[in-house]
Amino acid sequence: MRPHDDRDLKGAPPLRRPETSVLVKEALRKDANDVDALFVLAALRAQDGHPDEGLTILDRVLVIDPGYPGAWFFKEKLHRMRGETRQAETAREQGEATEA
Amino acid sequence: MTAAAELVKMKICMAGEAMVGKTSLIRRYVLEEYEDRYTATLGTKITKKSLGVAHPQDGHRVEVNLILWDIMGTPTLRDLLKEAYYHGAHGILGVADLTREETLRELDAWSRSIRTVAGSVPTYMVVNKADLEGEARMDRGTIDAFCRDRGYPWSYTSAKTGAGVEEAFEGLVRHVLSR
Ligand SMILES: Nc1nc2c(ncn2[C@@H]2O[C@H](COP(=O)(O)OP(=O)(O)OP(=O)(O)O)[C@@H](O)[C@H]2O)c(=O)[nH]1
Ligand SMILES: [Mg+2]
Repeated sequence: MRPHDDRDLKGAPPLRRPETSVLVKEALRKDANDVDALFVLAALRAQDGHPDEGLTILDRVLVIDPGYPGAWFFKEKLHRMRGETRQAETAREQGEATEA
Repeated sequence: MTAAAELVKMKICMAGEAMVGKTSLIRRYVLEEYEDRYTATLGTKITKKSLGVAHPQDGHRVEVNLILWDIMGTPTLRDLLKEAYYHGAHGILGVADLTREETLRELDAWSRSIRTVAGSVPTYMVVNKADLEGEARMDRGTIDAFCRDRGYPWSYTSAKTGAGVEEAFEGLVRHVLSR
């Protein structure tokens, strides 16, 4: 992997956004319960073809912060990807209630 | 006696590529602060702000509770997270960076993704970093044509100087109310 923590460059602003997976790793190293990093990690795992792992991580997000913006609707989506209609509906209802 | 203002809750979502200034615009608008240092957004962030406006149709008073959703400008996760970001959105603030031409064109990809979740949501566009005039990579004519084709009202902003920021958010609110 190429090095890309441009944020450490002095002076000029970075030319591109650092790799998201690197940002996630750094944040989790500082705080294993960093809810933003966990949310994004769930997305990255799902993106890499592991929606089951994504869901496990997302459930941790929702334990830490049941009101995490968008997390219930993302959970709905991951359940749908796995064909789990009932769990998807439940997550959706939670999402509607949380964001109302 | 004046009638009580109508209360409206409005979910506004940012859209646009990384580093165009989405977070900076919210920061400037809500906190009147600005940072030159870039901190990439991780996850989703909500900021609230209320404002009073005259309704664009008949001028009655509307008290708007804005819920501003800041997101990561990462196209690779956009489709996976589009429901999380855009479910129930009432308005979109599309952000392009005056100094990077591709950030204007890429707004179409954001818009396509949003439409699959929230339908045709009223969208207002800003061309941010207007303070970097000397490094401009798009001219007014190009932006006008782009926005006319898509029905977006638009304006220049600078989160750095604050120029046009409040006007843009208020322009978006009026655009949403007029639908
Ligand atoms: N000159 C100038 N720089 C700006 C302006 N707005 C933002 N910036 C700078 O541009 C960089 C990116 O700004 P952000 O607000 O973090 O961009 P973003 O769109 O939220 O980026 P992501 O979170 O990665 O999607 C930062 O270094 C800001 O200081 C502006 O109006 N003028
Ligand atoms: Mg940001």
